[in-house]
Amino acid sequence: MQDHLSKIWKGPIGLIASIAVLILLFSVLNPRFASVENLQNVLFQVSVPLIILVGTSMVILMGSIDLSAQGVMGAAGMTWILLSPNTRLEIDLGIWAWVAALGLGLLLGLATGVIYAKLRVPSFVVTLGTWYVGLGIGIILYGNGMLPSLTDEALARWPTRLTLGLPNSFWLAAFVAVAGALVMQFTHLGRGILAIGNNELIARSSGLPVSLMKVSVFGLAGLLSALAGILATMQLGSGSPDIGNGQLFTVIPAAVIGGTALSGGEGGMMRSTLGVFLLIILNNGLVLAGINPDYQSGVFGAILIVAIVAVAWPERSRLKVAK
Amino acid sequence: MTDHHAVLKLTDISRSFGTIKAVNSVSLEIRRGEVVGLVGENGAGKSTLLKILAGIERPDSGQIEINGKRVNFRGPNDAFKAGVGVVHQEQSLFTNLTVAENIDKQNSNRRGLSRFGIQHWSRLNREAAAVLDKIGVKLSPKAIVGDLSFVDRQMVEIARAVCVDPGAGVTPLVILDEPTAVLEQAETEVLEREIRNLRRFASVIFVSHRLDEILRICDRVVVMRSGKLVSDRLTRDITKDDLFISMVDDVAIAPHRSRSRPRASGNPAISVRGLSRKGRFKDISFSAHRGRIVALVGTNGSGRGALARSLFGAEAHDRGTIEVNGKPVSGWSIGRAVAAGLAYVPAERKTEGMIGGFSAARNVALVHHDALKTGHFLSPGRLARLAQTWFDRLDVKPNNIDLPLSQFSGGNQQKVVLAKWLTSPDLKVLILDHPLRGLDVGASQAVNHQIRRACDEGAAVIMIPDTIEEALEMADEILVMRDGELSARHDLTVQGTPAIQDIMAEMV
Repeated sequence: MQDHLSKIWKGPIGLIASIAVLILLFSVLNPRFASVENLQNVLFQVSVPLIILVGTSMVILMGSIDLSAQGVMGAAGMTWILLSPNTRLEIDLGIWAWVAALGLGLLLGLATGVIYAKLRVPSFVVTLGTWYVGLGIGIILYGNGMLPSLTDEALARWPTRLTLGLPNSFWLAAFVAVAGALVMQFTHLGRGILAIGNNELIARSSGLPVSLMKVSVFGLAGLLSALAGILATMQLGSGSPDIGNGQLFTVIPAAVIGGTALSGGEGGMMRSTLGVFLLIILNNGLVLAGINPDYQSGVFGAILIVAIVAVAWPERSRLKVAK
Repeated sequence: MTDHHAVLKLTDISRSFGTIKAVNSVSLEIRRGEVVGLVGENGAGKSTLLKILAGIERPDSGQIEINGKRVNFRGPNDAFKAGVGVVHQEQSLFTNLTVAENIDKQNSNRRGLSRFGIQHWSRLNREAAAVLDKIGVKLSPKAIVGDLSFVDRQMVEIARAVCVDPGAGVTPLVILDEPTAVLEQAETEVLEREIRNLRRFASVIFVSHRLDEILRICDRVVVMRSGKLVSDRLTRDITKDDLFISMVDDVAIAPHRSRSRPRASGNPAISVRGLSRKGRFKDISFSAHRGRIVALVGTNGSGRGALARSLFGAEAHDRGTIEVNGKPVSGWSIGRAVAAGLAYVPAERKTEGMIGGFSAARNVALVHHDALKTGHFLSPGRLARLAQTWFDRLDVKPNNIDLPLSQFSGGNQQKVVLAKWLTSPDLKVLILDHPLRGLDVGASQAVNHQIRRACDEGAAVIMIPDTIEEALEMADEILVMRDGELSARHDLTVQGTPAIQDIMAEMV
């Protein structure tokens, strides 16, 4: 029973099967669910959390946690829109708006990583701090002025425009996810992340540059959160420090449902990706099935709890201490 | 005497912890292709010596030469680079990575297996396959270590230890620290074959409690006792008995008991029949009577610790029955065990037995605070009186119940941990896992005195002693465990005191 439960949740086959069951179920409940428009809509919704998840998964695989995504998104999104053609400021830095916003995210991530790795404080608390620092930067940039909206039509439409039948947002996210999976499988950094997540002490005594890897991973996570912030801002068409609201509660359950253990070392990029799909399809399907959106927070919370119980099931023993 | 064939040469190595000389002026030479057995009782200094060789501990004095060159290890990496590969008692593999990655993790950077940060999988697998082939192990380099059997993982450990620095023309020194302690018989045979194989290109230091194994595998056996190297002889010149005699401290051979030995009578306080837990212990039956001390002896990994925890309900058992006061128990858990009058003092005092930041008084009151409660509130006055009573009775020093327990010495901490359980008016079974761990002679005597007293007052004691001498000194009955099974029992009240050599032979 134990093995069974954990395999269902850990193996991608179980995950794919769950997604298939959900798709079938929702298609029966509301035929509109399976329409091309809605599936494109699902891919559109998947893209922002998927980009964040690539960074967050690396952090979790390393045995740490990153809660800062929403704050970094707010800071980077506001930076980007104020430096792009918008209704408030007459500045258009073009590509440099991207560089500034992504750079800010990278910087926030690197700073988090240095504090975490060098001062040896729990990543949970450091990233909670970074979240609010990022949010604070976004709020200051937002100020009391009028709402900054994108004035460049091409930019505002880019995320929803279709390329080969799929929205550009999703192409971007898919590119990031594939790159992330390649990093995990084929680079020294990726394998090092898994080693650290499995047993940091052995990793250190084997001479792996543990601190450097930690800083790099948090830097990368910050960069990807910033990219997600820009994309979300583009999708919305206007800037807001709260652009990332609620993302954390898609991203972390998605990683866990994908079988990425919060204790590190177990899981992978593709499985996390499936986790995002599962949650977004669930979200989208519940809406189309006519279920009151007010229930969704509760459903998401319950799913997170069930998933983490399933992942921790084989490890439980009487004297185990969980904190 | 400079032997240019010496792979390792230790001269007068010493290392002390506080007042205890863990390693005392040890000199040792190991030649190319030699397999040397290292034996000694727990606490004889083997582990410390190995840690010095592995670069984990640094010696206070003395020098280490490897291949004729003097070395000074600042960390495990230095030892590794010098050609010393260690297979530790606890496996140190990344269970989520492949066999090849584990073998090469330590030096993949140096050897250019990951240029520009890109992992060169095909070359990595090829080199790992070569190493596995060299030691004659049939394992796929691509297998995930977590999916392998224990013995296969041990092979990966050995492969990693062997490939310390391939191509440099250095003879690697492989240290195996009790690699067989947790292996089954058949697996042990595989491992033994591998070790004989290693001789072709490496020198080996092999640590084991199983003397038969040592005599089968090794060319030479060295014995440590109380930090010193007391015997260094070729295997063909010695017998198992010779090893026993050099291992056991002859001063301690005739333990003296002051207590009268009560014979088992009446209903046992606790008895188990056919108790089993998969992979830990199998088909254990025995009983403990009130007023008697039963000692479980065996090597690490004999299953006695797991058995003790199962008796107390801290771990589940798969089969068999536990009876307390003649009544079989069901749904056994720590809560029920405590309610039935069982007590357990764990081996890891600092992490499992006490709460160091709490005052001594609050530690005393951790378990039985019904007597201290008024409604739902603890009464500080009654708490202080109770703690003070036990401080006086057990002679805890300093006699200050408000001091955090972490500030007491080990022996006094252990007294407080005991007091926690002794406060129970109906203590029936006291289970002690290594009650004297880390205590000096004086503190040991004081704790032993309290254990005997609890026993005289009607508790049945089940203890896991550090040494056989301790068992002979304290116990009325000695149960010997080997590989999870009871291999012998001695009722000292009926048969008299058994010889230490006999017990050791039953352990290994």
